[in-house]
Amino acid sequence: MNTQSLPLTRPGIIPILIIVQAIVLSPLWFHLPAWISASTIALLLTRFAVYKKAVHIPSWLILILAICALGGVFLYFRTISGREAGVGLISLMYTFKLLEAKNYRDGALILFISFFILVTAFLYDESILMGVYLLVAMMSILMGLIALNSIQGVAGIRNLGKISGITLLQALPIMLILFFLFPRLSGPLWAMPSQRESGMGIDDEMIPGSMAGLYGFDEIAFRVDFEGEAPPINQMYWRGLALSEFDGIAWKIGVESPLRRDSYPKGSPTYQYRVQLEPHNRRWIFGLEDLIEPPKEKVYLFNNYTWRQSQRVTQRLLYSAQAYQIDYSDIELSQWQRQLNTQLPEDSNEQTREWAIEEYQKVNEPEEFVRYVLSHIRQQNYHYTLLPEVFEQNVIDGFWLDSREGYCEHYASAFVFIMRAAGIPARVVTGYQGGEYNPYGDYYIIRQKDAHAWTEVWLEGEGWRRVDPTAAIHPSRVDDSLLNQTSSRDDWFTDFDSLTTTDSELARTFWRQISLRWDAMQSFWNESLMGYDKDMQFNWLSKVGINNNQWRYLGYALLATILLAGAGFGLWILSQAKSKDKIERAYRRFQRVLEKQGVDIRLYEGPKDLLHRIKQQHPELYPKAERVIKRYISIRYQKSRVSESNQQSFIKTAKSYH
Amino acid sequence: MKIVSAIEQKFFSWVDKRSPEQQEVHLRQKNIYILPTRYGWLMLMILILILVASTNYQNNMGFMAGFILLAIGMLSVFYTYRNVRGLKIRALKPQSVYVGQECSFPFEFNNSSESYRSSIGIGLNKKQVEYCDVDSRSKTLFHIKIKANKRGLLEPKRFVCTSIFPFGIFQVWSWFKPSYGALIYPKPIECPQILAPQSHGQEEGAFAQRGSEDFHSLRDYQSGDPIKQVMWKAFARERGLLTKEFEELVGEQHLLTWESVSQYDKELAISYLTDAVIKAEQAGNLYGLELPKVRIEKGQGAEHLHQCLSALALME
Repeated sequence: MNTQSLPLTRPGIIPILIIVQAIVLSPLWFHLPAWISASTIALLLTRFAVYKKAVHIPSWLILILAICALGGVFLYFRTISGREAGVGLISLMYTFKLLEAKNYRDGALILFISFFILVTAFLYDESILMGVYLLVAMMSILMGLIALNSIQGVAGIRNLGKISGITLLQALPIMLILFFLFPRLSGPLWAMPSQRESGMGIDDEMIPGSMAGLYGFDEIAFRVDFEGEAPPINQMYWRGLALSEFDGIAWKIGVESPLRRDSYPKGSPTYQYRVQLEPHNRRWIFGLEDLIEPPKEKVYLFNNYTWRQSQRVTQRLLYSAQAYQIDYSDIELSQWQRQLNTQLPEDSNEQTREWAIEEYQKVNEPEEFVRYVLSHIRQQNYHYTLLPEVFEQNVIDGFWLDSREGYCEHYASAFVFIMRAAGIPARVVTGYQGGEYNPYGDYYIIRQKDAHAWTEVWLEGEGWRRVDPTAAIHPSRVDDSLLNQTSSRDDWFTDFDSLTTTDSELARTFWRQISLRWDAMQSFWNESLMGYDKDMQFNWLSKVGINNNQWRYLGYALLATILLAGAGFGLWILSQAKSKDKIERAYRRFQRVLEKQGVDIRLYEGPKDLLHRIKQQHPELYPKAERVIKRYISIRYQKSRVSESNQQSFIKTAKSYH
Repeated sequence: MKIVSAIEQKFFSWVDKRSPEQQEVHLRQKNIYILPTRYGWLMLMILILILVASTNYQNNMGFMAGFILLAIGMLSVFYTYRNVRGLKIRALKPQSVYVGQECSFPFEFNNSSESYRSSIGIGLNKKQVEYCDVDSRSKTLFHIKIKANKRGLLEPKRFVCTSIFPFGIFQVWSWFKPSYGALIYPKPIECPQILAPQSHGQEEGAFAQRGSEDFHSLRDYQSGDPIKQVMWKAFARERGLLTKEFEELVGEQHLLTWESVSQYDKELAISYLTDAVIKAEQAGNLYGLELPKVRIEKGQGAEHLHQCLSALALME
């Protein structure tokens, strides 16, 4: 393959390579260390300056800079083999390569490596926007390749975009088929390096006041799709952690241990649902109360009826689960569990402790006491606010007896404290409550702002009972102004002061619909495309009746797809050739007749010359032949499209020639 | 290495059998070949890398990118093939040149289809090709230059028409053998001696004297026949001996003989004669050429020059 005639100096080649690199690197700029991103941008700008002949950079300088970059990566990451370091290094070398690119070989190398660098960006983000980005980037690389392989460079091909666009459109259906047929593995091939990404979500430690940070966030925690009936929204308690240990300030998990399968509690199934859990970089897995059967491999049920995964959730996790109503009739609260769930630190919040003991003596019955405290919250001047007064010490005393304002964490923590002070086993449960129904995708969206803390109280003969003290606050004392203000969605509209209320409401509804539709698309994307895995693959295979040797069948199907696609395109191209040749065939037939009549047919001769020769050598044939040849010329050498009827009439004339 | 070249030879004799000598080739399935380029293999490696990484990181976007790449690879087989399919290439007669110059072989591409054919390469082999574009429904004339290293007939064994457009992943090509060769004239080199007797320079060296024996007899003849112009044409066609007399009036005339340069190395001698022939033509002289097996009578003009140069080019 000769590539000397395809130098990089053709018009537009270097600029298009710079653009391709910028497009391919752009998502990485948000994830790589700032100095690497800045270096790649600087190198691209330098390359453009060199192209514009503004600067000249000797090759020894490029070499030194490249070695410095390599050293920089090593010093920064202390390795060059990890994923982060690898991506950083390859992006730097990629831009250096363009700086020193001299010939076709370098250009081709850069463009083909682009495909790989493009994929590294997906390790960080697999959202629907990245799907759009994939197409844009692919298109730009293809345009770069076409320009590189065409003698005119960028200028010559009128259809640079058209060719790559059509190619991409034709590639998409093949891609989709291969995507679903390609055999998937259930686990990684080699251990994945740990990720240092931070996730947002509920922590394993609850200091009253800490969760307020989450309320401002519209970020999605997870999505839930119920199979069949869904519980009412106020009954949706998404259980995350059970916090049993209290040190006076913070609630912690305390001692917990995974349960063996044979010691799972019994229960009656209630709701069936499927979850798309966004990565929160923690190990707990949320589920609708009550939790029993772990939804996935490597997820375990713990003895406080919460789920844990052995690894942190660093990628979107999809699972199907069953909610139960646990039957506590056979379950005794063990001695140490009772101890754990009644434990309180010495000499803290003495006033509340005394209050609790005093009040308990009035009813002297756990269930009654629960009811009593709840009605106390309801009747007394307890307020719900996201901006409560902050106490340094004796937090519960301050809240319960003094300020009487707070939010779920304050209420849950005070309630459990009071129960324990009265000798009733109780614990705090954190997770999410409620959710937003999305009618466009028939599922629920649970956001970070739905984070919630509630409590569980052990009642003899009944078991753990969920009690949500926050729900006991009288609605008139809920300060929801902040709740509505904090979401970014609403922020959007605060600027439109000129809108009348009805207009702004209309706009709000409209915006809401759009965002729900968008979320439905995202949910579909996450669930059906990004969440497609071995389980889903085997699932649909079993639906078509393949329950074993799945990989063999997938292999056959893959092969068949490739062969069929190949045959399809081959036939398509051949059929294009056939249909165009109809005119040619009629003309050939006409030439054979002429030959029989004594006209010498020369293959290299065009129709005009042939006609000229007939006029001179065979004037008797001229009038008839002229009709055919003139029509042939007008069909063949006319720039505009020839109508079907014109073609048909030519074929008729040519065939009737004798 | 021997085995490789033997296989290569076998292969090309098979190729040549499949592509007979012809003035015009029509590129279609039976004479179009296709294989991945080295960048095609590179892309395959990158594709495998992407699929392995996607499997390891359970990254479905990675799979999507990988399969788009695979599909593009598949499609490019057809696109590249379509870029040359149906193209007709006609080899035209090349102009003769001197050794050391570039001989340009003209080709006419005929594209009777609606599609624009981009970057069609043509050359002696796949490593030395030149590219041109062929517009839809049009004919394009394109020259490829081949350096002439040897006098005689320059007859490339085969030409190759190739394309890597649009993505450079696959290369299609077709071999064909044109019926025309190019005649390469010897390289003209000025001789240190004077080969043809000049009007004033006859007294130098033994060579000039020996070579001038014919001229003396000519002179005798001339002195016997004083009628000039009219007589010359008639006699020249018959025996070519009367010209000397004439030359003294119209210009010079000389016969360039092999003997006059036979003491030099053969190729050098041919170059000397070539130079002498060209100089004689430029000076507007009449000249003839006498080689061991060929004798060209005296004459003048482009046709005559070509005749003399051809004789020199083809001398064994």
